[in-house]
Amino acid sequence: MLWYRFWLETRARFLTSLATVTIFCGVFVYHAEGLLRPQWKSGFNRLLFINQQFLVIMWILACVLLGMGGIVREKAVGTSSLTLSLPVRRATVLGVRVGVGLAEAIVLGVVPWLTVFVISAWAGMPISITQVGSYIVLLTGGGLVYFAMAVLVSSLVVGEYTAPAVAFGVVLLSVLVFDNWIPRFNAWRLVTGDFSIDRKTFLLGKHLPWPGILASLAVAALMVLASMLVVERREF
Amino acid sequence: MFYKLTPTTGQPLYLQLMQQVRHAAETGALRDGDQLPGIRTLAEELVVSPNTVAKAYCELEHEGLLELRQGLGAFVCVKRRTRSLENDVNLARRRIRDLIEQLREDGLLDAEIRRAFEAELLYAAEAVRKR
Amino acid sequence: MTNEAVILTQGLTKSYGNREAVRALNLSVGRNRITAFLGRNGAGKSTTIKVLLGMVRATAGGGTVLGKQITDKKANLDTRRRVAYVAEDKPLYGYMTVEQTISFARSFYSDWRTNVERQLLRDYELPTRQKIKQLSKGMRTKLALLLAFARRPELLILDEPSDGLDPVGIENLLQTLVAQSADGVTVFFSSHQIAEVERVADHVCILEKGGLVVDAPLDELRQSYRRIDLVFPFPAPEREFRISGVERIRTSGHQMSVLASRNAEALVERAHRLNAVSVEVAPVGLREIFLETVKEN
Repeated sequence: MLWYRFWLETRARFLTSLATVTIFCGVFVYHAEGLLRPQWKSGFNRLLFINQQFLVIMWILACVLLGMGGIVREKAVGTSSLTLSLPVRRATVLGVRVGVGLAEAIVLGVVPWLTVFVISAWAGMPISITQVGSYIVLLTGGGLVYFAMAVLVSSLVVGEYTAPAVAFGVVLLSVLVFDNWIPRFNAWRLVTGDFSIDRKTFLLGKHLPWPGILASLAVAALMVLASMLVVERREF
Repeated sequence: MFYKLTPTTGQPLYLQLMQQVRHAAETGALRDGDQLPGIRTLAEELVVSPNTVAKAYCELEHEGLLELRQGLGAFVCVKRRTRSLENDVNLARRRIRDLIEQLREDGLLDAEIRRAFEAELLYAAEAVRKR
Repeated sequence: MTNEAVILTQGLTKSYGNREAVRALNLSVGRNRITAFLGRNGAGKSTTIKVLLGMVRATAGGGTVLGKQITDKKANLDTRRRVAYVAEDKPLYGYMTVEQTISFARSFYSDWRTNVERQLLRDYELPTRQKIKQLSKGMRTKLALLLAFARRPELLILDEPSDGLDPVGIENLLQTLVAQSADGVTVFFSSHQIAEVERVADHVCILEKGGLVVDAPLDELRQSYRRIDLVFPFPAPEREFRISGVERIRTSGHQMSVLASRNAEALVERAHRLNAVSVEVAPVGLREIFLETVKEN
C-alpha cells in the first residue's frame, strides 16, 4: 500500500504536470505545423527538436517537484512519526517513493510525445515512430538523473519550501557548471538531443548515445542509493 | 449491584471494591450463590484497570467470600461468620453514630471529625503495634 | 500478572547538542499492566518513546522492547509489527480520506481486527469520505486512536492520547484502554489528564528533566503518600520531622504541613510525642504528588 500512498501524495502534482506538458506540446506542434506547412520536411523536424527543448525544461521542473517529499519533508510537515512507526524499513519507503516517481516521470515523457505523434499523423504529416521513441529514450533515460538529484536533495534538506528551492538551484547550477567547463558531460545537452541531432535534417541519429544514457542512469542509481543510506542513518 | 470507586482517597481501588462487595454481602444485597460481573465487564463499567478488579476478586476468594470458577465467573459464598459480622457492623455503626452526635454537640465540625477519625485510625494502628 | 518487563532501559540517554532530553533513564514497564507516563511538557516523554521505537538513536545506554534490543535495526522492524503507537501530534497524511487512511494502515498489520475497526468507526462517528486535512483536532485524534485500537498488539504506546478529546471522548478512550488491557495488551501511555490516569493506571512513572522521579504502583502511592497537618503550642519543630520518607515540609509559625511518601505512622507518633495540639492526616491525590515531585526538581 506504500505505492498507493505515494500515488495519492503526488497525484495532484503529477496530473497537473502531465496536463500542462501534453497540452503545451500538442498546441505547440499543431499550431507551428500550420505555419511551417510549405517547407515542412526539415522545418517540421526542426520543430520537433525545438519541442524537445521546451519539453525538457518542463519535464525536469516536473521531475524535481515529483522528487520532493519523503521522510525528511514529512518531518517538516509533521507526519514522519506515522511513517517511521510503520513496520517498513526507511529504505523501502524511499524505494517505493522513487518507484512511483519513476513511473510518473516516464509517463510524463511518453504521453506528450505520443500526443505529438498522433496530432501530426492526424494533421497529415506523420513522423516516424523511431524518432518519437528516440526522443523519449533521451528524455527519460538521460533525464532521470535530474529526478534522482531531486530525491537526493529531498533527503538532505529539511523544509517544505527550502528543499524544492535548493533542488532547482542544484539543477540550474549543474547545467551551468557542466556547460562552461565540461560540456561533453552535460546531461542537459544529452537529454535535449543536442549530442545526437543531425544539424541538416534535424533528425536524431540512428545510433543513440548509449554510453551517455547508461552513465547518466548509473549516476541516477548512485544518487538514489546515497539517498537511501542518508535516510537510514538520519535522525528524525 | 452498583459499585463506586473514588480514585482520590488514599485507599487502593481494589480495597475499595473489596469493601463494597463485602458490604453488599453483609447487608444482604448480595446473596449466597449470586454471580458477580466478569473482570472485563466490571473493569469497563467502572473504567478501572482489569488488574484492580482481578486483585479484588482474588483477595475476596482468599477471604472465602467469593468462589472463582474457571471460565464461569465469580460467585458469592456467604458463610455463617459473615452473617454474624452483619450484626457486629450494625452495632458498630450505631456506636459511631452516637459518638459523632456527641462530638457535634461539643461543637466540632464534620470536617474536623472526619480528619480526627482518619488520624486516629492511622495512629491507633501504629500504637497497637508498639504496645 | 507476570512481572516480566515489556520495556526495559538501562542508563538511556539522549542529548541534542548540550541539552539532555533523556538522562540515564532506567525504565521498566511490566507486562499486562496499564502504566502511565507522566511529566511536564519537555520532560522527555516523547523523546523516550521515540528512542524506544528506534525513531531516534540513543546517545548512551540502551534497552529492550518486547525483549528486542532497541538499537538492532532488524529487530526494530519486528518490534514495530508487535507494537501499536499513537504519536503525540497524531500524524496522518492530510491528502488521504479517512477511508483511505484506514485501508492504508490495515495493509501493514496482520493483527488488524476488521470488526473492531467498524465498531470504532461507528462509535467515533468519523466521516469516512472526508480528507484528513479537513478534520478537526478531536476527529484526527480519534482516527489516530482507531488505527491503533483496531489492532491487537502486544504493546500499546500512546503519547497524549486524550489530546483534543471532549469529556465523552476521553471516557470512551479510557474504556477502550481498559478493554485492550483485558484482552492482554500491555498499555504504556503518557498523559496530562491526571484525573483519568488515577482511575485506570496500575503503575505510574513520573519523568522530570529526563529522569524518573516516581516509579511505583499507583496503589502503593495511594497507601503511602500522606499529608500531615500539625499545630504545636510552640513554633513548629521542623527539624524533628526531617526523617526519611518526608518529601516536603512547610512551616508557618506554629503550623506545619508535612508531605510524606512513607512513614506517615511514625510521623504521627512523633507529633503526639511532641505534644502537637492538632494532628490531621489526609490522603494525597496523584495531582498533588505530581505537582510536588515535579516542583521539587
